[in-house]
Amino acid sequence: MPKCEECRKFFSLEEDPKKGDCVQRVVDPRQAYYKAKPVTAEKDAAKCESFEKK
Amino acid sequence: MAEPAQVSLKELEKKQEWWWIAERKRSKRLDYLRKAVWKKGALGGNYAPGIKVDLELPTLFTQAWDFWRFDPIMLRRAKTNSNVLDNITIFITDHAQIMGYMGSAPHTITWRLDGASMVNEELYNEPGIMPEPQEESLKKIAEFNAYWGGQTAIDKLARVLDPEDAVKFLSGAIGWGAPTSAYGYSGKNYEYFMTGKRGFEDIIAEIDASIEKAEDRTIGLPGPDILPLYDRIQNWIAMKTALQASIRWAKRFARLARIIAENFETDPKRKKELLRIAETCERVPAKPPRNLQESLQYDHFIQILARFEAHEGAWPSRPDYYHGPYYDKDVNVEKSITKEEALDLVGEFMIRAYEVGGFAPRWAREGLQGITGTWVWTLGGVKQDGSDACNDLTIAFLQAARLVRVANPTFAFRWHPKVKDEVMREIFECIRHGLGYPSMRNDPILINNAMHWHGHPLEEARTWVHQACMSPNPTTKHGFQPMRMASATANCAKIVEYALHNGYDYVVNMQMGPKTGDARKFTDFEQLFRAWVRQMEWIFSLLVRTVNLGRYKDPEFFGRPFLSGISERAVESGLDAVSYVGERGNCWITAFTYVENADALAAVKKLVFDDKKYTMDQLITALEANWDGYEEMRLDFVRNAPKWGNDDDYVDNIMIRCLEECARFSKEIKCPCGNNWPILPENVSGNIHYANIVGALPNGRRLGDALYDGGVSPGPGLDKNGPTAVLKSCGKIDHIGHGRAFLLNQRLSPSQLAGEKGYQLWRAYMKTWADLGNDHVQFNMVSDATLRAAQKDPEKFSEVIVRVAGYSAHFVDISRKTQDNIIQRTVQGI
Amino acid sequence: MKCVECNFEGPVPRFRYLYNARIDAPITLRQCPNCQTWLAVDELKAAVVQKVTPGEAPWGKSAGIEDLAEDAKANV
Repeated sequence: MPKCEECRKFFSLEEDPKKGDCVQRVVDPRQAYYKAKPVTAEKDAAKCESFEKK
Repeated sequence: MAEPAQVSLKELEKKQEWWWIAERKRSKRLDYLRKAVWKKGALGGNYAPGIKVDLELPTLFTQAWDFWRFDPIMLRRAKTNSNVLDNITIFITDHAQIMGYMGSAPHTITWRLDGASMVNEELYNEPGIMPEPQEESLKKIAEFNAYWGGQTAIDKLARVLDPEDAVKFLSGAIGWGAPTSAYGYSGKNYEYFMTGKRGFEDIIAEIDASIEKAEDRTIGLPGPDILPLYDRIQNWIAMKTALQASIRWAKRFARLARIIAENFETDPKRKKELLRIAETCERVPAKPPRNLQESLQYDHFIQILARFEAHEGAWPSRPDYYHGPYYDKDVNVEKSITKEEALDLVGEFMIRAYEVGGFAPRWAREGLQGITGTWVWTLGGVKQDGSDACNDLTIAFLQAARLVRVANPTFAFRWHPKVKDEVMREIFECIRHGLGYPSMRNDPILINNAMHWHGHPLEEARTWVHQACMSPNPTTKHGFQPMRMASATANCAKIVEYALHNGYDYVVNMQMGPKTGDARKFTDFEQLFRAWVRQMEWIFSLLVRTVNLGRYKDPEFFGRPFLSGISERAVESGLDAVSYVGERGNCWITAFTYVENADALAAVKKLVFDDKKYTMDQLITALEANWDGYEEMRLDFVRNAPKWGNDDDYVDNIMIRCLEECARFSKEIKCPCGNNWPILPENVSGNIHYANIVGALPNGRRLGDALYDGGVSPGPGLDKNGPTAVLKSCGKIDHIGHGRAFLLNQRLSPSQLAGEKGYQLWRAYMKTWADLGNDHVQFNMVSDATLRAAQKDPEKFSEVIVRVAGYSAHFVDISRKTQDNIIQRTVQGI
Repeated sequence: MKCVECNFEGPVPRFRYLYNARIDAPITLRQCPNCQTWLAVDELKAAVVQKVTPGEAPWGKSAGIEDLAEDAKANV
């Protein structure tokens, strides 16, 4: 079962490596941007369509 | 639509296609960011394709709200909002330098689900805005609605309102808005947090000191004096929680910017920018800003944070005044950035505001077509010592406006006799470029007005900003008003309608106002006028009662920890900023659809009582038939009765008499602070919203026709004696003693005002305007030809901006009826 | 009054009133209750002046019904 911490898009917090952000690049019809969503390192990523193994 | 590349700038200028000129002149960054915006303003009344309601925020909010259910309301909201700020998805758009949005993606609109159940139900039924998969979204929304039903701010208020008041208020016939700070319009205490003296960490230190002091007392000698402190300590903790969460949220942007710079970005220039963004977001709002970018970012963070807490319908601010010193330091003194770089920041600062949007019910969307709120930013004016406050940043904002051409925010300029010619020229350029803004405000008059109506001391009155479209509000500890009380907005055409129909409303089929007599039996004008006064008093009283109660109960029903945390009197007292305690009072009744009263009364006086051409019985019969079958008579009432705006004392005296009655009554009705409720005639696009709500009137309108465009603007096409006559009519109003402010729309000819000669003509016009003591004027300077072409080919003219009322909108975003109403306005040659 | 699109006939008030071209002219917009077509109506003559459609001849001042209003105003 893959976890978020194994993903290239996961960036852990220095002060608490069990927590971090999932950072993704998005290109919508009007603009391109990076987004960040807080996740835990242990989170199950099995169903995540954006998962990319480190 | 692509830019016509072969056409020269000169040619474009000749054709007044200013939007193409803007595209060529602005930087690549501004061009990208301007085009990147997802427009949140509803088109006519519908959201644009691609706009989706954000469901991440309501999910985070509801989860935490339920979890913290045992906390007092202000603390509960603070903890709930913290959960949102800590967990909502944030984003950084390419090329952007200023951060912060309330939704989890740029195309989302936020949903204030704790405001009113009826709004929540409307959202459930709104087509096109559900995120995919729709079925899942609808299920989620239904669950939220079930949870929030009965516990939103308005639900709670409805339970304590007088039932008769509630029914009449909710009929939608006489009032507009919702009396809760959930739908904000909060003024801000800029003099507390925006002067560079303190950031959030400094405020937290002040709060800590207050808590410590209070806690010393709560373990001291028992007595009644310490009892309120227990609640206040909870409120202080709530404020502190809100400010701490805000700092953490800002630092999330800093972290993301660093992650992008260190892991993704390959362009060294952008890398450097991202690191500067990181530094900026680590600095503010925790600490006071040190430079222009930090100052703008600090301000923008605060505006967005306030919107995480409430659906703010307005954006009271004074950016040139508060950010000007940083511009001067960076550009002129230290030269750390160039003018062009500063212009990029200023332009983006406007764009960031333009992209803000939340879900609004249909009545609000129709009343504010094309925009999501009235972001009227205040420029110019005087400093507290009375000297000219204009600076280089004033000019930069006016220049940036012409480059980014957003419809929201707009500017309102505080004109005074010391304003320099170079500033006036920049203003004129904005108007000439068809932006419809800045609107012009007469600063000396409005400062006196603030002192007259609400007793603001001179130095405080001089800090005023527009709290919404029009109303001045000081930014000081006791002067700023934390809740705009949007529902004290009266559909004033109903006053004369009810006076003619014995208080009965034939549109909603209800006895609304008092029974003031069968108008068919009136034998002289005074009887009608007395009925008018009683109906006016009744409408104003009902609205003010409702709003006063909303304000009084708001800290109990809603609670604003963040707003309190940036408000000196709340930080000092431990009370919710919305509490009326410690506020001087700054209320006003927005008088929609006002001028119809003067024209209708004058028509009756002239044709029925003076000329005796018709009887009251005939008139009431014709009105009840919506003038159907009485076209000749209707035209007589339009053409052969005097109309406001022509310098005709016959009707102007009636207008003044009505205003005098309103002014008298404004001092009898009081706000929770014990202060007055002056009226402020203006309309936004309520003249269209109310078209199907106001019945036939003696000025010749039928049920269905657009009402006049508002404030004290003459009826479209009825001001036939030229612009000076309009100014003279308006100049008969006492702009200090008769009310809070008076909106005047004017259309000017762009071809007449071309070049230096045009500028000098406008300056002469403005001199007459000021000499006559008028407090407001705003201009549309787009030709009929352009507007007609835009109706035929909206794609090609999608960037044409017009002044609707107290706000501007892209012409193609407003309904056809509103478009026609604007075209019908008289183009004044000056 | 007779609808120029579907020939439905009825008194003027049967045609749903929408709004005026301008307040000081007798030209209004009404909708046929039978075929829903928008019609420019001369209220003095109780007669349809023309059918009103969006696109090339959109209703409103820009569509030419403003011109109708101007003409009608001048003729009263």
